[in-house]
Amino acid sequence: MKKVMIGNHAVSWGVLRSRVEVISAYPITPQTQIVEALSDMVADGSLPAQYIKVESEHSAMAACIGGSIAGTRTFTATSAQGLALMHEMLHWAAGGRLPVVMANVNRAMAPGWTIWTDQNDSLSQRDTGWIQLYCETNQEVFDTTIQAFKLAETVNLPVMLVLDAFFLSHTSEPVDVTEQEDVDLFLPQREATFKMDTSDPHAFGALVRPDAYTEMRWQQQESMREARDVFRQMEDEWEAITGRRHGAVEAYRTEDADLLLVTSGTITSTARTVVDERRADGEKVGLIKVKMFRPFPTDELRGLLAGVDRVAVLDRNISPGHGGIFAEETRSALYDVPPEDRPTLFGYVLGLGGRDVTPSVINDIIDNTRSKDQPEREDLWVGVEL
Amino acid sequence: MSEGDVTKPLDTGRNIPPVAISETSTLVNPTGSWKYIMPRYEDRVAPCNAGCPVGIDIEGYMYLIGQGRLQEAADLLVRENPMPAVTGRVCHHPCENSCNRASLDEAVAIHSVERRLGDMILAAPPPPAPERTRIETVAVIGSGPAGLSCAYFLARLGYGVTVFEAATEAGGMLRLGIPEYRLPRAILDRQIDRIQAAGIDLRTSTRVGTDVPWTDLDEFDAVFVAPGAHLGKDSRIEGAEGVSAIRPGLEFLKDVNAGERPDLGEHVIVVGGGNTAMDCARSALRLGADVTVLYRRTPREMPAIPQEVREAKQEGVQFEFLAAPIRVEMEDGDFTAITCQRMELGEPDESGRRRPVPIEGDVFTAQADTVLTAIGEDCDLSFLPDEIGTKWGLVEVDALGESTSAPVFAGGDVVDLPRSVADALGGGKRAAIGIDHFLREKAGEDVGEVPLNDLRYGGGNVSALRYAEDEDPIPREAPVNETVTWDQMNPNHFHTAPRHEDHFHDAIDLRSAFGETNFGLSQKEAIEEAERCLNCGVCNRCELCLIFCPDMAISRRDDGGFEIDMRYCKGCGLCAAECPRGAVTMTREGI
Repeated sequence: MKKVMIGNHAVSWGVLRSRVEVISAYPITPQTQIVEALSDMVADGSLPAQYIKVESEHSAMAACIGGSIAGTRTFTATSAQGLALMHEMLHWAAGGRLPVVMANVNRAMAPGWTIWTDQNDSLSQRDTGWIQLYCETNQEVFDTTIQAFKLAETVNLPVMLVLDAFFLSHTSEPVDVTEQEDVDLFLPQREATFKMDTSDPHAFGALVRPDAYTEMRWQQQESMREARDVFRQMEDEWEAITGRRHGAVEAYRTEDADLLLVTSGTITSTARTVVDERRADGEKVGLIKVKMFRPFPTDELRGLLAGVDRVAVLDRNISPGHGGIFAEETRSALYDVPPEDRPTLFGYVLGLGGRDVTPSVINDIIDNTRSKDQPEREDLWVGVEL
Repeated sequence: MSEGDVTKPLDTGRNIPPVAISETSTLVNPTGSWKYIMPRYEDRVAPCNAGCPVGIDIEGYMYLIGQGRLQEAADLLVRENPMPAVTGRVCHHPCENSCNRASLDEAVAIHSVERRLGDMILAAPPPPAPERTRIETVAVIGSGPAGLSCAYFLARLGYGVTVFEAATEAGGMLRLGIPEYRLPRAILDRQIDRIQAAGIDLRTSTRVGTDVPWTDLDEFDAVFVAPGAHLGKDSRIEGAEGVSAIRPGLEFLKDVNAGERPDLGEHVIVVGGGNTAMDCARSALRLGADVTVLYRRTPREMPAIPQEVREAKQEGVQFEFLAAPIRVEMEDGDFTAITCQRMELGEPDESGRRRPVPIEGDVFTAQADTVLTAIGEDCDLSFLPDEIGTKWGLVEVDALGESTSAPVFAGGDVVDLPRSVADALGGGKRAAIGIDHFLREKAGEDVGEVPLNDLRYGGGNVSALRYAEDEDPIPREAPVNETVTWDQMNPNHFHTAPRHEDHFHDAIDLRSAFGETNFGLSQKEAIEEAERCLNCGVCNRCELCLIFCPDMAISRRDDGGFEIDMRYCKGCGLCAAECPRGAVTMTREGI
C-alpha cells in the first residue's frame, strides 16, 4: 500500500506496523506529529497499546524503561532539548539492556532558540550506549522504524532512529507501507530475554561492585559489535520481503572515484544530484552515505575509502573545540590504513540550525577539496570561511 | 556476589549476567519501615448528597447505575426519596449547583437521571407494604410533599399512619399549584398511589379544624402538621380591593389545575418573580393571553428556577423588570390598567438581595384585563391550638420537626422559608425520624439522642437508611462524614464529556396545550449521564492507586476493594495524590 505522508507519520506507521505495546512521550516540535498520530491510533483502537502521558521527556524514557522491563515493546519520540533532558535515562535504558526504540527528529540545540535541524542533539548522546541510525528518505524512515525493533530486541540494546527536522519530518513523500502480515513475519512479538516478575520481585539496575562492572560493560560492547552483523542479516530479511535495502553504509557511484563525499541524513539526497551532474561531466566523484553512527561502521568505511585520493566529509554538527563529528570518526577509522592508501580528508561544517545545504554549496566543497593538497585545518566552516 | 576483594575481577569461571538484577528478592527489604505517614481508604461524601434537601444518596445511585445495577439504584433512590418521578421534574435541583463536575466541564444532569429512574419505578408494580411493627399511630395533616414524605417514612418505620387532606385529591401544592405541563397528573397520581400502597390511610376532603376537630387527633400518638401555605399575600395595590380582575395567582392556578379554563382577557400582567409567578404566566399564556411579568428587582434577584424563567421567555412571556404596581386605574367602573412605579436597586436587605427603591416621579401605566399577583403566600395556622408556638407566621420546630408542644411535629411550607418541594420532602423525613424517636422514648426504649450529625450526608439532610441502620448496597471503606471538595480531588484522570440536556417540546405548540413540555432523557442518555458522575469522595474501584503504587504494595481484595501491604508501603502518598476522588487519606495514625 503506497501512501503519501510526512516523515513523522512514516515513523507513526512504522510503530503501528511493529505492534508496539507501550508508548510514552512528551510533545516537542518538530516531533509532536509522530506521537499525535500514535495517540489517535491508540484512541481509535487500531493500535492496542498503552499510551502513557507524562510531564517530561525524562519521565517518558523512564516509563519506556518500565514498560520494557515488563517485557513489552516500547517506543518514544523526541527532539533536541527533550532528548537532552532524557540523558540520564538513556544510560539506564542502555545499561539495563532494554530494547527501547526512539525516534529523534534532529533539531539544533538552544540557545539561540531554534526549531530547525542539525545533528548536535543526537550526536551529543553518542556515548550513552544507544545504536544510532540516520535516515535519508521517508521510506527509509518507515523501514528503519520497524527494523529498529528487530535490531534492538536481538542484541538487547536501545535504538535511536534519526530524521532531519522539516526536510523529512514535515515533508511529504510517497511511502510504500508494508502490509501487516509481512511485517509480522519479519518482526514477531517480543520475547524478552529477561523481565520483571512481580511474583518474584527483584531490583533492576541494582548495585554492581568493581569486580563485575567492567565485564558488564564489556558485554554491552560485544553486543554493539554484534549489532553490525545483525543489522546486515536483518536487512537481508527485510529485502527478501520488501525488496528494499538501505545499508549501514551506502556507496553511491564510487567506482574509480578519486574524490568521495561522506554524508548523512538529507544532505545525502542533495549530494546525489551533485554527483550525478559531475559524473555527467566526466568527473570521478562518488558518495558514501553513513546511516549507522553507533556502532560505527569502521570496517566498511575503511574498505570503501582506502585508496581514494581525497575525501570530503560534510558535517551538519560540530563538536566545539574539535571539529565535525563524522569527519573525526572517519579520520579515526582511517588511521590504520597504510599511508600510501590513506586518503586526504577534508572536513566541512555546514547547515547548522537548519541552514539550507544546496547543490551549489556542495559544488563549492568539491571545488575546494580539489584545489588544495592538504586541508588548512580539520574543519572548514561553509558560509563563514568558505 | 563473592566476598573478598571486590576491586579485583570475579572468578573467570563465574557467569556474569548482562543486566544488573539483584540476586535476592526485593521482598527481603520491608520498605514499610521507612514511613512516617500512611495511606488509608476513607470514603467521603459527595457534595450532591450534602446539597440535597431531601437527603438522597445521589452519588450512591449514580455508582450503581454505572455498574449496570439499575434496579438497585432505583431501590436506593426510593429509600430516601418517596417521589423521584416528581422531584426529577419539579425540583430546583440544588444538587447540580453543588456538583463538583461543574469545575471540570458541566454539572451532571442529576434531575434527568432521577426522573428516568423515577419513571422506571412507576412502571413497575409497587412493593408490598412494609410490615406494621409499632402499635402507635400518627396523624398527618396535609398530603403535600412534606405530609406524604413523613407518612411514607413513618410507614416504613412500622407505624400506622392516617393522612388528612382538605382537598378532594391528595398532593397538596404539587396538585394545586404546579401546572400540568410541568408535572403531568398521571405521574402525580401514580406516585401518590405508590406512596399510599405503603399502607397509609388517606382521607381526602377532610379538613382538620372543621371536618375533624383538632381534639379528635388525641386518638393518635403523634401529629405531623403540614398543611402548606395557601394564602396569597396582600398585593397592596391602591384600589385593588373588590376588583375581580385583580386576583391572587395561586387561586388562578388552583382553578386551572382543577381543569377550569378561566377567561383572562387579552392582556395579563403577573406580579412577582418566583415560581408561582412563572407558573401563572405560562398558564395564562396557554389560555391565549399576552403575558407580561412585572418584577420589582432585576433578573439576577429572581427566586424562580432559572430553567422555568428560560422556558417562560422561550414561550413568549414578556418581562418588565424594576417595576412595581401601585394603583388600579378604572374607567366607568371597569378595570382598565395598572399604574406602576419604576424602581432602582438600593442597599441589600436581610435576604442579601439589593432592596428595590422607588424612583421618585417615575411611573407608567400598563393596560391589562387581568392582574395575577404572585408575591408569596402565608400560612393559615388558625386551626392550631395556642400551645403550639409560632413565629413570623411559621410553626416553630427543632431540627427533627418537633414543635414546642410534643407530640405535635410540623414541616413543609409551614416551617420553611424559602419553600421548595425538596425542602418539604426533607422536612417530612426528619420529622418521621423525630416522631419515631419520640415514640420509642415514650415507650420506654433506651434510645439516647438521635445522632443527627451522623445521619446527615456531610451536613446535608438526614438519611433514612442510616437511621434504620440498613445495609448500604455500596461497600464503603471507613466512611468519613465530610463533604469532599474539588480541590481534594485530582482532576487529571478525568475526561471531559458534554452534559446531556433534556429534550423539550417544540415551543410553537405550547400556547394551546397543557401537555408536558420537558421530555427528559432517554434511558440510554440517562445512563450515559449517570456515567458522567465522578463518584466524588468514594472509591469506585478505578484501580489508579494500584497502578501508581511504586512498591506494588496495593492489591485487590476478593470483594473488589483494595488492601495495602503495610510491610512494603513506604508512605510515599502517591496513591492519595493520584486518587481522582479524594478517597485515600494520608495519616500519621497507626504508625
